[in-house]
Amino acid sequence: MSENPDPVIADLAVQPRVLLVDDDEVTLMLTAAALRDRGFEVVEAGSGELALELLRERPTDVLVLDAVMPGRDGFDVCRALRATEGLEYLPILMLTGLDDNESITRAFEAGASDFFAKSQQWSLLAGRLHYLLRAARTRQELERSKAKLARAQDLARMGSFDWRRGTAVVRSTFVLSPEGLRVFGMAPSAAVTLRQLLRMVPAAERHGMMRILRDVMNTASVLTTDVPVTVRDGRQRIVHAEAEPEFNEAGHCIGYTGIVQDVTDRRIAEDRIRHLANFDALTGLPNRRQLIWRAERALEAARRIGHHVALLMIDVDRFKVINDTLGHAAGDDLLVEVARRLRSCVRHSDQVMEGALESIGSRSHRTLEAVGRLGGDEFVALLPEVSGEHDAERVAQRMLESMRAPIFVGGQECFVTGSVGIAMYPRDGNSVADLLRNADVAMYSVKSGGRNALALYTAHLSGRGREKLELESALHKAIERNELVLHYQPKIDVRSARMVGVEALMRWQRGGTLVPPGDFIPLAEETGLIVPLSEWAVREAARQAKVWQVSFGFADSVAVNLPNRLFERSDLVEHIHQAVSAYGVPHRAIQLEITETGLMRDLQNVIPSLHRLNEIGVEISIDDFGTGYSSLAYLTTLPISEVKIDRSFVRDLGITPQSSAVVTAIIALARSLGLRVIAEGVENLRQMEVLHRLGCGVMQGFLFSRAIPPDELEQWLKTTVLPRRAPWIGQANALEASETQRRLSPGAVA
Amino acid sequence: MNPFDSTPGQLTNLGHQDVAALDDAALARLSELDPDGRTGLVERVLSTYAASLDRLMAELRAARVAGQSDVVRRVAHTLKSSSASVGATVFASLCAQVEAATREPQSGAVEPLLDALQAETVRVLRAVHVRLAA
Repeated sequence: MSENPDPVIADLAVQPRVLLVDDDEVTLMLTAAALRDRGFEVVEAGSGELALELLRERPTDVLVLDAVMPGRDGFDVCRALRATEGLEYLPILMLTGLDDNESITRAFEAGASDFFAKSQQWSLLAGRLHYLLRAARTRQELERSKAKLARAQDLARMGSFDWRRGTAVVRSTFVLSPEGLRVFGMAPSAAVTLRQLLRMVPAAERHGMMRILRDVMNTASVLTTDVPVTVRDGRQRIVHAEAEPEFNEAGHCIGYTGIVQDVTDRRIAEDRIRHLANFDALTGLPNRRQLIWRAERALEAARRIGHHVALLMIDVDRFKVINDTLGHAAGDDLLVEVARRLRSCVRHSDQVMEGALESIGSRSHRTLEAVGRLGGDEFVALLPEVSGEHDAERVAQRMLESMRAPIFVGGQECFVTGSVGIAMYPRDGNSVADLLRNADVAMYSVKSGGRNALALYTAHLSGRGREKLELESALHKAIERNELVLHYQPKIDVRSARMVGVEALMRWQRGGTLVPPGDFIPLAEETGLIVPLSEWAVREAARQAKVWQVSFGFADSVAVNLPNRLFERSDLVEHIHQAVSAYGVPHRAIQLEITETGLMRDLQNVIPSLHRLNEIGVEISIDDFGTGYSSLAYLTTLPISEVKIDRSFVRDLGITPQSSAVVTAIIALARSLGLRVIAEGVENLRQMEVLHRLGCGVMQGFLFSRAIPPDELEQWLKTTVLPRRAPWIGQANALEASETQRRLSPGAVA
Repeated sequence: MNPFDSTPGQLTNLGHQDVAALDDAALARLSELDPDGRTGLVERVLSTYAASLDRLMAELRAARVAGQSDVVRRVAHTLKSSSASVGATVFASLCAQVEAATREPQSGAVEPLLDALQAETVRVLRAVHVRLAA
């Protein structure tokens, strides 16, 4: 029997430790032997006193205790242990006489776990001990799991409660777990009534809370609510309460069990997330999403009630310049200040009375009024109820004025202005998207009209905007579709009545019409399409030079207009080199024209290109000369070959004396710098005569020829210049003759 | 037969000299706890028993003279279980009867039972010594 290990014992990882207490040595000896034989580790004690001492010294799994002993008997020891911390739940098996009913009862009362009638049935005793040990383990696990739950609840700031409905004879009861008490800032041992808890809810919310509780109880439904409370130490917390009804056999609700949880932190986090999602982090203003939401609510209210809504699009003028020169931090500071000022121009509310928005007749849609930031330097004001566009204009005017006062950022005073576009519901759109777009169109019309003003949207503006958009997309395709062409205007040396070069001018063959450069070049500049357009022009000019070289021995240069940004590109020289090489013409076949304004705008970046171009033989001509503010100091050092007198001076020649003074000055300047001079826009013989007299012999203009397609130019040369048939040729000859005569006459003054 | 099942009514029969003072079957069960006799358990138990019997019977006699019936009852209780353990079944049965009788002192059963117990003590001790000497 002892050879075969008991399966129960084999199952145990460790040897259970038994403390055996009996005053009778024989029983002690035998029982110990029997239990050791069955796998227990046994410690023997001959008296209750010794047992208590041993229990204090060493951990024990189970106590086998003789009931009747001299001195401290089993009952006494049992009671003592139950009152000792850590031993309250020690499994105690009380050994009694077989028919000793009295001892059995007393053992139970003393707190023994079980009893065993003394006998020689050792296996029975061992089995009983195993049952006891298992029960103790189960109990321990339960205790541990309870402790874990309590800890988890504590961490989650959660506690449980139990409420029993009162009856005619029994008062209602309310029990809140220690963790629950902590939620309300109370000691774990505190006693609290439901009434006391409700008194912690601020008076303003208490009535609502009471109503919810009454409703839930009356319908025996589930309770789920968040309620603010002022806990014992005065802190404001938000407690989430959730409870389910309990029913008796008859189906009557007898009470509720549930949990309370401190959700303050979660609520704060949720509020923070909501704020981040709806408000601009930099300025604290409503962001695009929030603004659109408000605008939609405002339109709903306006539809219902029938009033006007205004959307104002506000943009800080030249913000990019401020940002680039003062730095992003200063730019941000500026935006914050602008935001503050714009906000003060409306009845801005951060909070919207959401619940009240739906109610008929309510004016709560007015709480939607706000200034928001769409991003960058773009702001939007929503005026949810205006009597008409004058209201909106007044607000816009206020905003423009508010922005004018200097703003101190980045260590200096900044003067900013804004452009405001206004769109009105329902006149300018029925949806938020339409209104935003149209306010934007109006705002851009202010920008292009010189900024620092306001504009109301009109359908006319939108039409222009759409046209522009279509034009832009068509221009993108123009190059690949070969819709671009170059027309050429000859440059004439009137003394010899010869063509000395041509200027290439771009035309866009769009469908059946020829689009003049003034209609698409500015757009090309704006969109950056000017770069591929110009590169194409250089290639095409080189190709044409080759064609003419072959057909009639053309050896002059084709002047191509380039915007200054092209000169900033480091690959310009390489590009020109490739273009002329591809067609086998010399570098000087291409001449480049840059406007005086363009040149001076970005002189430092343009100069290196000019030098490199000059080195390879590409001549530079300054277009529109006299209209900009050339620095004479630079002009002397720039590698340029030619200046072109602006057409505005030519037009007034012989009409105003000032114009001939300017032309005279330009010619004198050019001459002293060793530059060629050429006059543009020559339309009649009188202009030609005056120019010639002032010393400018090279010209271009309608008098000679407008810009014409390349094959027509060849034709023009054949039919007009070579046969010397045009009226200006006769005039030129006459001029030449008189000039010669004057030079030869002794009294002539140059 | 379970010795604890005895009742006072069986007293005279159990005091019979024919019944062995130490029950062989009980002793056999005892030796099962130490099958090889390696630890000498049976011998240790029997000599411990003999010693405690000597000591406790002296205590009982003193209490009998002094009229301390509760001491008498406790000693009887203690001897009852240890005696049953070593197979002194008659003695154990007498102890049980003494224990019960002390709860009803007016029955007058205690004195004759204590006499019988005294007589049985001699028999048990003799049997134990015989066994130990073997």
